[in-house]
Amino acid sequence: MNALIAVLIGAATVYLAYTRYARRIDRNVIQSDPKRATPATLYMDGVDFMPTNRNILFGYHFKSIAAAGPIVGAIVAASLWGWLPAFIWLVVGVSFMGWASDYGALVLSVRNEGNSLSAVAHHLISPRTRTILFLFIFFYLLLIAGAFVGIMAQTMDAQPKTHLGMILLVVMGLLLGQMLYRWRVGLLPATVLTVGVAFAAILAGPSTEGFFRGLNEFFNSMTGGAPIVTYFDPTLADFKGAEATIMPSLLFWAIAICAFCYAGSVLPIWRMAQPVVYVGFWITAVSMILGLLGAALGTFIKPEVAQFQIPAFKGWNPQLGPAGVMPLWPMLFVTIACGAISGWHSLFGSVGTARQIENEADMLPIGAGAMFAEFLLGLLALLAVTVGAKGAPVATFANGLGGFISVWGMPVENAVSLAFAAFIVIVLVVTQLIFRVMRVTLTEWLGEILPPLRNQHLASFISVVLAILLVMTGTWIYLWQLFGGANQLMAALSLLLVTIWLASQGKSWLFAGLPTIFMYLTTVASILVTAYNLYFNVYVPNLAAGRTVPVIGSGLMVLVALLLVAAALLIGVDGLRAFLKYSRRPERAAGTAPARG
Amino acid sequence: MQALRNFIYGMTGYEFARHALEARRELESIFMIVTLGDLIGVPVMPPVYSLRLLPYIAPEIEQWKRQMARRKEFWEREEFDLHGV
Repeated sequence: MNALIAVLIGAATVYLAYTRYARRIDRNVIQSDPKRATPATLYMDGVDFMPTNRNILFGYHFKSIAAAGPIVGAIVAASLWGWLPAFIWLVVGVSFMGWASDYGALVLSVRNEGNSLSAVAHHLISPRTRTILFLFIFFYLLLIAGAFVGIMAQTMDAQPKTHLGMILLVVMGLLLGQMLYRWRVGLLPATVLTVGVAFAAILAGPSTEGFFRGLNEFFNSMTGGAPIVTYFDPTLADFKGAEATIMPSLLFWAIAICAFCYAGSVLPIWRMAQPVVYVGFWITAVSMILGLLGAALGTFIKPEVAQFQIPAFKGWNPQLGPAGVMPLWPMLFVTIACGAISGWHSLFGSVGTARQIENEADMLPIGAGAMFAEFLLGLLALLAVTVGAKGAPVATFANGLGGFISVWGMPVENAVSLAFAAFIVIVLVVTQLIFRVMRVTLTEWLGEILPPLRNQHLASFISVVLAILLVMTGTWIYLWQLFGGANQLMAALSLLLVTIWLASQGKSWLFAGLPTIFMYLTTVASILVTAYNLYFNVYVPNLAAGRTVPVIGSGLMVLVALLLVAAALLIGVDGLRAFLKYSRRPERAAGTAPARG
Repeated sequence: MQALRNFIYGMTGYEFARHALEARRELESIFMIVTLGDLIGVPVMPPVYSLRLLPYIAPEIEQWKRQMARRKEFWEREEFDLHGV
């Protein structure tokens, strides 16, 4: 097996699933009608509700859903179970569930006046479902923030060659915002300058490695070389578990990342969040395109970078720490999210994209098409990990992607530096947006009861402190899997809503209903497994050793896991009642927009 | 080729264009509330100026009232795309 064969299988998957399955559902079940008025045309307000060209909206939607998920998920899954289970799940997941979830949420919103999932849940299921969804979404965001800050801080602490690029990325983002919105410089020259400088800084990273390594040593010398926190990490020593430490330099980078995210959360979006995302987008896009093409061409030009290095299959239940269990079902299906199926896509699609759909015939290419494109990104990440095979999980990915990029003649050292930077950039830009959404969700959820939370600084501060507390547990793989469980559960809930809506319309609901059952059972089981692992693998050993911070952090994670399960069960029971009600008595008229013209 | 250009624009410049539109809408909303707020139940003291501005504003009134109708309060706005997910 090599990278070219995997790329060809991926391309065939996209073609067959789109043309033979998704298009048939669109035509026969949803019966998308180009003549039916969409919310964008009915309620056009020039901004939120705005009929938009199909290709523009495809680019916008794809960029909005493509984040760090496919990369981190592939890294963890390949290192735990081998590349074959991860590959099969990516192919099967996107073909039968992923596109159905994204497309279904988009259709649901378009056929319900552009309403969000929670608003549709309020209408179709019950008012309390909306409140539970808020709670669910906040903790879901907290988990992903903790996982991302943790993995970024560890990578930056271990890879000083990435620091210059990251610092210049932020500076260039700020400069771009100023140039576009204040100095009114054109987008093209502003892009060339800021993206060019950021790229140069990333490629020059290896030459500044010594300086930043010295900076890390300076921070560590402040405690005389003693760690701030010592904890038991079950993911170390080839997943047998070992003592680990958090040094001052790691805490410094975690706080620096959080300070950046805090600024991104409270500053006007044009000042920081939006332009930094834009500069980061180019760095990631160039790296990924060079990598994907390099993966295909490498088989002929540089075969050594395209050969699979890690085992195809490592076992059904790899040991993770002394007391941990990691069964392939359900854990694989939450470890890899975005390339196969993801709740984030449904959330964004139902609010951001649905209100801009010009024509119902665009729902399939945008909703399902962007999901298939995301699958290709996930496939690339998996290939990079599979051919990398050197170092810790993130380093494995960077070495693999760097190898693909080096096919184009770039020195391997610089290519690997670019790959590390691409990884951190894609995680960093998403994390700052997550903190922003967390702040808004916290305000929306509790602002009425606790008015001080309407203050954006307080809401952001609480979000940041909670995330740092989770990071201090040290075990980001558990955080990632807990987030994956929440994210996939969000996809299951979105599919549940689509199923209920299809039943209410008297339509065949199987294409959404069957994935709902699988994802719901899988995700609830996975969250319970993660809670078990956290308790016996992290909480108990650290409690026995009298370590306060990891105990509080892992205890908080167990609590969040149980809360998520309780919320999911409540929504599931309410959803089942609503489904049974509509199955017996469909209300065809609900959510049907009038015909245009 | 046009499709590819649109796709790249969707991934790059479209978000800036949307934000510029949002910023303009907020400024215009404030202006409309100050001059023609009585159309949505906000008392406005000097209606004579509103009448003089009416011919210029008339084409925007329908969209403006739709935007206002979606807000909890007329002085609030959806700060972020995912507000109220």
